[in-house]
Amino acid sequence: MENSFSINNLNLFYGDKQALKNISMDISRYEVTAFIGPSGCGKSTLLRCLNRMNDLIPNVRIEGDIVFDQENINKDKIDVVQLRTRVGMVFQKPNPFPMSIYENVVYGLRCQNIKDKNVLNKVCENSLRKAALWDEVKDRLNDNAYGLSGGQQQRLCIARAIAMEPEVILMDEPTSALDPIATAKIEELIQELKKDYTIIIVTHSMHQAARISDKTAFFLMGEVIEMGETRNLFHVPKDKRTEDYITGRFG
Amino acid sequence: MRKFNIKDLILDGITYLFSSVSLILLVIIFIFIFQKGFSSLNLELFTSPYWSENYYASIPASNNTYLLKSTLDSNEYYSEKFGIALKDDFNARNEAIVVISYVHPDSPFNELTNSTSGANEGQIITAQEGMIVNKISYINSNGVTRSAGPVIKQMAEDTINTIEKSDQLDSVFLQTQGGGIFGSLIATIMLILISLLISLPIGIMTAIYLNEYAKYNRFTPWIRSSIELLTGVPSIVFGLMGVLVLFPITSVFGASGTSILLGGLTLSIILLPVIIRTTEESLKVVPDSFREASHSLGANHSQTIFKIIIPAALPGILTATILSIGRIIGESAALIYTMGTYISDKPELLKGATSLAVQIWSIMNGDQPNFGLASAISIIILVMVLVMNIGVKVLTRSKVKKW
Repeated sequence: MENSFSINNLNLFYGDKQALKNISMDISRYEVTAFIGPSGCGKSTLLRCLNRMNDLIPNVRIEGDIVFDQENINKDKIDVVQLRTRVGMVFQKPNPFPMSIYENVVYGLRCQNIKDKNVLNKVCENSLRKAALWDEVKDRLNDNAYGLSGGQQQRLCIARAIAMEPEVILMDEPTSALDPIATAKIEELIQELKKDYTIIIVTHSMHQAARISDKTAFFLMGEVIEMGETRNLFHVPKDKRTEDYITGRFG
Repeated sequence: MRKFNIKDLILDGITYLFSSVSLILLVIIFIFIFQKGFSSLNLELFTSPYWSENYYASIPASNNTYLLKSTLDSNEYYSEKFGIALKDDFNARNEAIVVISYVHPDSPFNELTNSTSGANEGQIITAQEGMIVNKISYINSNGVTRSAGPVIKQMAEDTINTIEKSDQLDSVFLQTQGGGIFGSLIATIMLILISLLISLPIGIMTAIYLNEYAKYNRFTPWIRSSIELLTGVPSIVFGLMGVLVLFPITSVFGASGTSILLGGLTLSIILLPVIIRTTEESLKVVPDSFREASHSLGANHSQTIFKIIIPAALPGILTATILSIGRIIGESAALIYTMGTYISDKPELLKGATSLAVQIWSIMNGDQPNFGLASAISIIILVMVLVMNIGVKVLTRSKVKKW
């Protein structure tokens, strides 16, 4: 299967502290890849490298190559705005903007100077349908997004990312602030979305990784210990540390 | 059981006593101002000019009698021959005066001709209720012109009796009451508009620069502490700086001395630190997750700031504006140099005028301080500032932070 991202020898430093060490991995298209590992192991940091969100943090130095669509995105000259429209992101806490549901969904398009009402309306409906939210909000698109429940807000954030028609959706612990029912809905949605998008998800829950992902990478202290088919990694881990982690001996 | 401790008791007592002293003092000040100023407080105060206008006007001939249709109060005296009623009163400085209390609709006093030399000579003046009568000249039976009224120590009753004996009035010397705050009110509004127009854009943009663009810049802490320092500079120093540094700017526009423009420029500099700090505080409260989400959707830096951050920080920016208006209304020291202390009834941008606060200073500064009017203006200022503060409270409370 075709690769979406090819990461090669990636090192990341926060000031003097090295947060990622020699990361190399390939991420396949139209699959769900899960990053698991204990807190502070660098899995979110790697995720944020993939759409250059680390640019917002001062004193970060990144070395190595990240190839996306035959282009190394880890260099200064790249068009970051274009990259981010192709690689969407959903965050840990639902973070809709304090504006209407409709405006939230079309925000990215408005930033691209798309003003045609018909286009915006169409994209809004399609994105909300894909995020399985349309039926719940179609009568109140002009209400403030903060009137929605936590799970609905997170699906709105997914719809907001889908509206940009990205190729990849990065999800940084998207269900950690949600209750089990909302979590189940999001997981179901991810299964649906992987037909059209490459999904990379960081999760604290090993059960979640086992349930929804095709491939899993286990991180420890800024290194990738083991990566492979989810089924293999959970049933026949090659590394002792992976086994210790997934059996709950530490972490 | 707790042991009785005399030392604790004394300390508690001192705390209660001293904390109540400040409260009692505040209440006394309020009571005093309200007691002094409340009687002077009326709607006319807001619409009438401060300076009295004098009219010397000739009275047309009349041979009618003007019968009174309604009854008058016992202290009002009516002349049936000329259709005018006078009464005794006191002005703001407690001097005895005679004022017009009623003018008959057909009275010759409705069509006085201005005989003061000047641009308005020959204009028709209507005598109005509340105008002060200083002198009425009449022609006696021998055809000689004589005077009646306060000018020869006649009060209302004697004045009416004197002119009733005559068949023909010659002229009248009238004076409007004055003592209003209309000019200062307009000047204060102009001052608010000018200073906000200058300081709000500069202050808000500076705050955005400090918090959004130069957050990790080496110079930002320096700029920030300089702004903190500016907050502590006494306003009279800013006033002096206004005269020395900003006057050349206003003179380019044609101001020859103190002017509302100069006052506005000076105030806008005083306001800058307040606006920058309040706006920055409100920008800091906007969660970083909004910035991240916006960037992740392909928005650039300025789109993120102008579409997301500023709308989210708007209640805080409004608070900064309201605080500034309160500061402008209350400011006096910096304005004495820059806007002058001469109360102007027709304020102009490039001429001197007084704000409400400075008008208090001006009327208390003369030989005969006018406590009543000063207290009335104080009440107006207090109410305005109170309304502003309540506005800030309502704004900050209604901003329920859901994020």
